[in-house]
Amino acid sequence: MNISEKVPSRLEIIPEFISSLAEKIKPLGISSEQFFNIRLSLEEALVNAIKYGNKMDPQLFVDVVVESQGDKLIIIVKDKGQGFDFDNVLDPTKVENLEKTSGRGIFLIKNLMDEVEFSDGGSQIKMVKVFNKDE
Amino acid sequence: MNVKEERANGVLVCILEGEVNINTSPELRKAFDEIIRNKESKVLVDFSSVSYIDSSGLATLIEMLQRLKRAGGRLCFSNMSQKVKNVFEITKLDKLFEIFESRQEALQSL
Repeated sequence: MNISEKVPSRLEIIPEFISSLAEKIKPLGISSEQFFNIRLSLEEALVNAIKYGNKMDPQLFVDVVVESQGDKLIIIVKDKGQGFDFDNVLDPTKVENLEKTSGRGIFLIKNLMDEVEFSDGGSQIKMVKVFNKDE
Repeated sequence: MNVKEERANGVLVCILEGEVNINTSPELRKAFDEIIRNKESKVLVDFSSVSYIDSSGLATLIEMLQRLKRAGGRLCFSNMSQKVKNVFEITKLDKLFEIFESRQEALQSL
């Protein structure tokens, strides 16, 4: 399976985009718990790409590629921004950061996916999930 | 997302229904604005019908906790599904919020 989509930089279309993607990857039989984690990671990556990468510019698109290779689901999200310092993202679980209202997206992705890799200065994120099938 | 309200033992119980995400968080913030305006001091959020939460939903709940604390109030959560609870656990927000298994346990604590 190989899906390639251009997503407009509009936050309100994220749930609809993810629902349509969910239908397309349904045949893979990913367990509901893992799908929850994949969905959350993809949503966080898309929000970052639209808000911070493309700066909500409706003229710009976010490129999303979803591929399955055996028991691996690979998702690549690329925006048109300058990237960010992905090695220096704050740890939201530190006591002094717990009440902060931002900075959890990347942390969630890193904890919910099996592999996460940034490239192009941070404007591209590749996320890999090794999935189990629903019984 | 819907927010239903009930009252039990002097506690305002907010029953959230649906997803708490980047698009529905503004609705939740509006409901919380109203709660703060009404000077509610004990608020329990029932998550039994919440199927999904993202980081914007978490941020909205943190804001509510801060506002209620400043007003001398308390905010508790109950009835989370394991998937939703997992998001709180990973982010260690289960240490920040008071989370109970059932509504009854939360009401006893409040």
